[in-house]
Amino acid sequence: MSNKQEASTRSIRSWLGSMMFVLTFIMGGGRLAGEESADWETRVRPILAKYCYGCHGPQHSESMVRLDQLSGNLLEDRAAVETWHEVLNAIDAAEMPPADEPQLNETELTTVTAQLREQLKRADAANQKTTGRVVMRRLNRLEYQNTMADLLGIDMDYARDLPPDAISSDGFTNNGQSLQMSAIQLEYYLANARRALDRAIVIEDAPKVVQQEWTESNLNQWLGNAVRSNRLERSQEFLATMKEDYPESGDFVIRVTLTAEIDEGQGYPLLEVSLGYRPDTQILMREFDLVEVRSTEEQTFEFRGRLEEYPLPVRGQGKYPGLVVRVRNRFDDRSPRPKEEKVDNKKVYPDEPHLASIDLKKVEFSGPVFEQWPPRSHTRILFESPLRQNDELAYATEVLSRFMKRAYRRPVSVDEVDTIVTFFKRVRPDFPTFEGAMIEALSLVLIRPEFLYMMEPSGDEKRPVNQWELASRLSYFLWSTMPDSGLVELAEQQKLADPKVLVEQVQRMLEDPRSDRFFSQFSEQWLQLKNMESVSIHPKLYPDFDERLRDDMKRESISFLKEMIDQNLAPDLFLQSDFAMVNGRLASHYGLEGVIGETFRRVELPSGSYRGGLLGQASFLMANSTGADSHAIRRAVWIRDRMLNDAPAPPPPDVPSLEESTPNFHELSVPQQLEVHRQKPSCANCHKNLDAWGIALENFDAVGKWRDEVRRLHRNQEVMLPVESKGELPKGIQLEGIGDLQDHLLLHERDAFVQSLVVRLLTYAMGRRLERADQEAVSTISNQVLQKDLGMRDLINELVLSRPFNTK
Amino acid sequence: MARKSWHLNRRTFLRGTGVSLGLPWLECMPSVANEMSETPAVTPSRLCALYFGFGVSLPKEDSEEKQWRWFPNGEGREYELTETLMPLQRHREQMTILGGLSHPNGRKMGAHDTGDTFLTGAFLNNKMLRNTVSLDQVAAYSSPAQTRFSSLVMSTDGGVGEPTRSSTLSYDGQGRPIPALNQPKQIFDRFFGGGDSDSIAQGRRLKSASSMLDQVLEDSRDLRRQLGVQDQEKLDEYLASVRQIEQSVERSQRWLEVPRPELTDEERDLLDLDADDEAPLMYMRTMYDLIYLAYRTDSTRVATYQITNMADCSSLAAKFPQLEGFKDSLHSLAHGWNKPGGSESLGKWDRFMAEQLSYFLDRLSTTPEGDGTLLDRTLVLYGSSNSVTHNNTNYPLVLAGGSKLGLDHGRFLKFDAKIPMANLFVTMLSQMGIPCDNFADSTGSLSELVV
Repeated sequence: MSNKQEASTRSIRSWLGSMMFVLTFIMGGGRLAGEESADWETRVRPILAKYCYGCHGPQHSESMVRLDQLSGNLLEDRAAVETWHEVLNAIDAAEMPPADEPQLNETELTTVTAQLREQLKRADAANQKTTGRVVMRRLNRLEYQNTMADLLGIDMDYARDLPPDAISSDGFTNNGQSLQMSAIQLEYYLANARRALDRAIVIEDAPKVVQQEWTESNLNQWLGNAVRSNRLERSQEFLATMKEDYPESGDFVIRVTLTAEIDEGQGYPLLEVSLGYRPDTQILMREFDLVEVRSTEEQTFEFRGRLEEYPLPVRGQGKYPGLVVRVRNRFDDRSPRPKEEKVDNKKVYPDEPHLASIDLKKVEFSGPVFEQWPPRSHTRILFESPLRQNDELAYATEVLSRFMKRAYRRPVSVDEVDTIVTFFKRVRPDFPTFEGAMIEALSLVLIRPEFLYMMEPSGDEKRPVNQWELASRLSYFLWSTMPDSGLVELAEQQKLADPKVLVEQVQRMLEDPRSDRFFSQFSEQWLQLKNMESVSIHPKLYPDFDERLRDDMKRESISFLKEMIDQNLAPDLFLQSDFAMVNGRLASHYGLEGVIGETFRRVELPSGSYRGGLLGQASFLMANSTGADSHAIRRAVWIRDRMLNDAPAPPPPDVPSLEESTPNFHELSVPQQLEVHRQKPSCANCHKNLDAWGIALENFDAVGKWRDEVRRLHRNQEVMLPVESKGELPKGIQLEGIGDLQDHLLLHERDAFVQSLVVRLLTYAMGRRLERADQEAVSTISNQVLQKDLGMRDLINELVLSRPFNTK
Repeated sequence: MARKSWHLNRRTFLRGTGVSLGLPWLECMPSVANEMSETPAVTPSRLCALYFGFGVSLPKEDSEEKQWRWFPNGEGREYELTETLMPLQRHREQMTILGGLSHPNGRKMGAHDTGDTFLTGAFLNNKMLRNTVSLDQVAAYSSPAQTRFSSLVMSTDGGVGEPTRSSTLSYDGQGRPIPALNQPKQIFDRFFGGGDSDSIAQGRRLKSASSMLDQVLEDSRDLRRQLGVQDQEKLDEYLASVRQIEQSVERSQRWLEVPRPELTDEERDLLDLDADDEAPLMYMRTMYDLIYLAYRTDSTRVATYQITNMADCSSLAAKFPQLEGFKDSLHSLAHGWNKPGGSESLGKWDRFMAEQLSYFLDRLSTTPEGDGTLLDRTLVLYGSSNSVTHNNTNYPLVLAGGSKLGLDHGRFLKFDAKIPMANLFVTMLSQMGIPCDNFADSTGSLSELVV
């Protein structure tokens, strides 16, 4: 069998792979009907009984597959279809029966496979019409956050109180089936809607604006008794407070004017501005994102926020310091800190000339700030209209129909508007102002399913999506938010479905900064970057590791995907590339020279560096480690699952413990330990196509740093072992080290990787698991990419033009 | 409305919980509803369920590391605690250690799948992932009007997670998971925050919310008709949630005039609302403190807290032991219990967990209530759905508190392995004054536990 066939068999198997579990277990015994089943019973069953039931029958159900009870009626039993398909693949690939078991003769082989193929084809055709449907999908936290912000024009934390979304078993947080609704969720949707509308729509007159300016700190007693400073290195702080006269709501702006001292090769100062503080809950301050100061010239930085989003002091608690602006420099070269000194019983930090420093000239605060009153968020919803004075109800109707069209992301019918107007009429008498009642009506819109879900009403038959649905699909795929006016206009003119227009829009969307959400969301979910957070790095073994580095690792993977798409690079480069995306800290972690600062950039790699491509990225290496050492099996599973979409079956319920029976287990290298494992028959079968994938990466420690020796802690003693990175895949393929692994993937697994990538991308784009009905689209896109050497951007175009993306 | 708002109307109840008739636990209902209809109980009874994943260390009784065996030595009143549960020694007379129990359905399920059913006893397999109502929610629904919140549902990971790896212990009447809260600050604000100071404005909005929900339900049938089967299921999930918040809106209306509870300065100072999964000890204690405060202020009488779960490397709790200086992640510790030195490693973690439980019991047992303490009227169930990792029998369980609810404590009771754990639930509910003959697959009750 050629590589290509093998690869495609595998990938089909793999998206079923994870389903196996779900499907094979409890199937009703053979419900059979019609001629096929007669054929099935008399011709196929006996062959299966002879060769397969031994391991997949009443006595054993290896890999949780049991064939004797699996329905032969493929037209009615969709679950059985998936398993039979798997069976066919295993027989085709000569994986089953295992080499050391009796093999089917030619006739038997033809009978079984021909029957299976025929049956599967029919089942497929029947399923085409209905399966592979997008489920009515709730917006996840991020999509909800962005949609609310775009819809209302108020930037605030909408997702704060929402329960975390479920991660589907294939790793996605936008899977319609997994995203559930609950009372508490709905309760917070309503609270959010009101909280936001209370800000968007104003009832009072324009508030008084507070303006403050400081050229030096005016707070010495609180937050550590220390001498404050305008010259900021890693230890000093600038603190400015407003005791009585400060606003408690609305937008504010903080301006910081400064110069910096930066020496060649030293790195750049990192400006941190925070506002707070609320002593009673111990949540003191909230920080803005760090800003790298890259010039020594005097410049002013502006920070904007919404006061309600910050921990504000409680008035009347006189002993507390009021509303505080804090400015710090977070740049730290991790050299030992000098001892603080005491002057007049206050701490003073000595100057550290080796650190890039900030010299503060001036700090200003003003708030609440607004460009106009009522603010734009108000006039966008409650626009000027003559109706407003003359006919309140007509005006309300007008306001609601405009708002609902945006909220529902499609035109709304008169009836739909009427239901909300009816509600408005019902509650209007209870509210002293029109605005007050209007906020309620608008809130109702924001808790309705038409807003909270991506709804594509249709019966059980498949149908093409309409223009509006297409706009939403595109927008949530690439921007994680509602369609913008550009998409809406095209939908309105019925032009969006035109392939040329569609492709143009994809380009426009990918160039828009909002596509960063796609880069980060898809990388996180595809590469399971969230698992990085569950690993605790051993502080003794890795004293240099810190949370910023953890964050950098994640950002590397996201930047890499972005670069791949921005430059339309071939997917092969995920397997091996001659560049990496790094910032200063990560570069030094990798031993790459000459990269300074926080910004991620493309760096051409010296020859002999293996950092190009996914396998050399610390994010994946670290997420699949124990925190103290590498974890070859987890890495292997990750490669097979995430890169090749061929996840190995989960381990049997009770994995036997090895250490007991093997003295000096801790002195064995990882390959040796795994060898012990493979000697157990119950483990051997799965592990022979698993271990080598991870062993090849043994040169990378728990934090993804290169190593030539393995350090291990045993009873608090460091034990040093040589790195052994040599392993064997089935068919005698030898792999030693990451180089071999990358070569092997490029040479033999390229097709599988591309298919796998297409599957993951399509899964993300559709917000559902793929099914057999999608197989054709996956193959078509993959073949296009492989045959025409398409780049990542082309791939996304193909995907957006594909049938599943355009079909409900 | 002539009916007093806190009366539990059976129709409302059924609508609210979305229960279809015939679920076994409904047998608990009629008598409760009748009792409820006049005087609200003056003597509260409370329930708290605490869960950890992956079981405990159970070296053999004659092994070198036997002091790290979770279960005590001996039996009955004369039992001796090992190192592991020693932190609970001071609560000995207020608790019972239970051995042998498990859910019969759980025994047939995947090794890591049973966290979901700890409080339900349901059977989940790959085809049927629908759970059933949990113990705590039966208790919560049974005293709907007496506290501001029906229950407090918490976990480390928050939300609901995925079936078989869920991040909540609680399931409503339809077996739908109830999202757990995991941010101390959010829980604090929800339970003790000032809320809107203008109660007239708040009342207006509650009334309006009630109309909103009616409106959504009114035209849902039209909406439903436009959808395919799968979408209809999703819409039903949404509508069930709408019906449920109708109840909580009603509840809030009743509580509108009652000011939020005041906390003392000491209580505030003890809380670290910034605590998160990076500082497990602080986080666990804060979560325990929040349950304590919710009880102390009678804001709710039912709480669940899934401290750790079995989602392994995707759980935020996976690294808890390492962050507290233990040598491995949770799953690795659990797996290593029968390796040399492994019993001790896991045993020490088990002990660490017991210390936190003991801290919680300290707080409950030092706060007076009536002629006893808070603990005397609170049933605290603590345990796991594995004995050792991957083993779904012989759950390690502690039942503490409730002396004034008729519990007879101070013993280590070993039960026959065939006895369903649901029998314990029947007893717990009964002692809380919720007459109940049957819960899930129960076959009776555990009369041994009662004086």
